[in-house]
Amino acid sequence: MTDASAASAAAPPAVRKSSLHQLDARTKKRNASEARFKAYGLGAVLIGVAFLVALLYAIISNGTPAFTQTFVTVEVPLEPEAVEAAEASFVKTSAYREIIYTALAERLAEAGIETDMGPEELGQILSSSEAGQMREFVLANPDRVGGTVEFRFFASSRVDGYSKGRVTRESLARDNNLSAAHLDLVDRMEAAGIVERSFNWDFIFGADASDSRPEQAGIGVAMLGSLFMMFVVLFLALPIGVAASIYLEEFAPRNRWTDLIEVNISNLAAVPSIVFGILGLAAFIQFGGLPQSAPLVGGLVLTLMTLPTIIISTRASLQSVPPSIRAAALGVGASKMQSVFHHVLPLAMPGILTGTIIGLAQALGETAPLLLIGMVGYIATNYPDGVASGFLDPNSAMPAQIYEWAKRADPAFYERAWGGIIILLLFLMTMNIVAILLRRRFERRW
Amino acid sequence: MDDLRLTERSVDQKEIKISASNVQVYYGETHAIRDVSVEIEDKTVTAFIGPSGCGKSTFLRCINRMNDTIDTARVSGDILIDGEDIYDKRVDPVQLRAKVGMVFQKPNPFPKSIYDNVAYGPRIHGLARNKADLDDIVERALRRGAIWNEVKDRLTAPGTGLSGGQQQRLCIARAVATEPEVLLMDEPCSALDPIATGQVEELIDELRESYSVVIVTHSMQQAARVSQKTAFFHLGNMVEFGETGKIFTNPEDSRTESYISGRIG
Ligand SMILES: Nc1ncnc2c1ncn2[C@@H]1O[C@H](COP(=O)(O)OP(=O)(O)OP(=O)(O)O)[C@@H](O)[C@H]1O
Ligand SMILES: [Mg+2]
Repeated sequence: MTDASAASAAAPPAVRKSSLHQLDARTKKRNASEARFKAYGLGAVLIGVAFLVALLYAIISNGTPAFTQTFVTVEVPLEPEAVEAAEASFVKTSAYREIIYTALAERLAEAGIETDMGPEELGQILSSSEAGQMREFVLANPDRVGGTVEFRFFASSRVDGYSKGRVTRESLARDNNLSAAHLDLVDRMEAAGIVERSFNWDFIFGADASDSRPEQAGIGVAMLGSLFMMFVVLFLALPIGVAASIYLEEFAPRNRWTDLIEVNISNLAAVPSIVFGILGLAAFIQFGGLPQSAPLVGGLVLTLMTLPTIIISTRASLQSVPPSIRAAALGVGASKMQSVFHHVLPLAMPGILTGTIIGLAQALGETAPLLLIGMVGYIATNYPDGVASGFLDPNSAMPAQIYEWAKRADPAFYERAWGGIIILLLFLMTMNIVAILLRRRFERRW
Repeated sequence: MDDLRLTERSVDQKEIKISASNVQVYYGETHAIRDVSVEIEDKTVTAFIGPSGCGKSTFLRCINRMNDTIDTARVSGDILIDGEDIYDKRVDPVQLRAKVGMVFQKPNPFPKSIYDNVAYGPRIHGLARNKADLDDIVERALRRGAIWNEVKDRLTAPGTGLSGGQQQRLCIARAVATEPEVLLMDEPCSALDPIATGQVEELIDELRESYSVVIVTHSMQQAARVSQKTAFFHLGNMVEFGETGKIFTNPEDSRTESYISGRIG
């Protein structure tokens, strides 16, 4: 008050008049730098979008062919004597194969397609999985023996590649699996409706296949393995992570020990994932005696890896709850725990869920630690007959399966690797959308 | 300050509700409360006045042990409520806070519905036997908080969607809903218009019938209107404590006099 009276006693400063219709130099400079900053920002966003578009284009153009497959439809007579003879022989599939080849040759003759190829040579159009497929059918349906059954066999990967434009007559010149003459035949078979390309559910739900029959390989078993691991991660990392964060953030005293723990958690988040793989190998498999290649071990390793992410994001969202809410709860006589569980946690929930799902998505896409604990099991038989049926049975995981395929020589596997990436990305996108939806749902409660 | 409407009140001898002696509060190295001793009577409104930063809120928070939640805060000295030391090892601060309600300086409603804001305390303390009971408690509390008429049609609307003044009255309703024996109010009217202020002051006067109310205020007029006892704080010391009428008309300490007449602060 004394200050105010002193100021009013002094002579009033000269007032400098300026027009509002004219920008002064400072304002111009400020506006220019703001415009520049906006341009940088927009540029950065555009570069990011351009990379994203290029990436998506590459993935989609390379990966979509993996979802369709070329099939050969053949009616095969299941004569009882032939089937019996085949079952009695030493290499049963080769006997079945002969039946199929003969049936294929007959089918061609029926369609009026003339060829001077013998059955053996003709058979190269088919995938070598054909005999197994037929035998499985016969064993499963013994009552159909005696009749004629229409089979849809996979075409061999070269024929499939031809229909997808990957294989040409020129490229077959150096290939002894198939010849240009086969392709002429395939063209005519396609016209006759014997060969056709259609959507292949086996790629999504099937099991992996050997190097020589990429057309049969599917990602289904690896998907199951990833699913098992995600269960382990979710049911371990979420409760442990959230409980640890709540304790550290709300209950723990601030002292040297908690500081140390805090620093270590931040450090853990930055540890390369392959280190967690070695740790898992040493701790769970060698010391703990758990089996190799098991989703349980994979899940444990990924839990270790995801925990810091979940703890850090949970603590951040707990910290963002205003302290006045805690004071309000304590002020009406709520206990610490009531204040946390009734007021703080619901407010922090969107952040916790987002952090958890992002952690899970990270874990789902993680490959390196899985290679070290052998989560790259080669499983060619599908659930439920296969071994990939539980938390302790050998299995693979989606990213590990993609890596496996990308490693193999046949370009048909390369295509499947891209297809696998599409499926993996679909999973990740779904998880992120779920995260956003959950966030919205919880945030509607202000 | 001749516009102070000092009302003549019968100040008979009452029981001591809160008795503080030699209270010291440190925030780390900062000595925020220096050797404060005060006796607060039951069924009385006691006002804490003083310049900003002199420790009024800090001392208020000692009475319901909210300072426990501040890591750096250290409290020493004795505070007795009904003759029991509230800093005794056997005292659970949670139980204490159910008995000593608090309205904070900044309105802090829960981000829940208006109804749930008020019902929360009674719920966790099991004060309502059934839903109708709880409805009654909520309505009574909202009426006492002088906000019932404004919110009775939107009890399910979020408490955070109210205006600042309405939020503060909601917080008052929330505090009285748990039926505390002592009500601590930290500048409850700083965000209120004169009408709502009048209503809150009426409420305080009404609460005096059964509770002991401690109110921090920056408004000398308010202190004079609602309180029977006034304590003047300055730089962490309690400079003067006595009958409100006496503090405002005939203070003993020169600092009190200069503050009241607007020369320091
Ligand atoms: N949490 C805290 N940590 C450290 N110092 C604090 C804390 N709270 C208050 N103080 C300090 O203690 C002193 C008293 O603060 P207090 O909030 O009690 O003042 P006040 O009288 O309520 O002021 P106002 O009228 O502005 O609300 C101040 O110097 C303040 O800086
Ligand atoms: Mg204050």
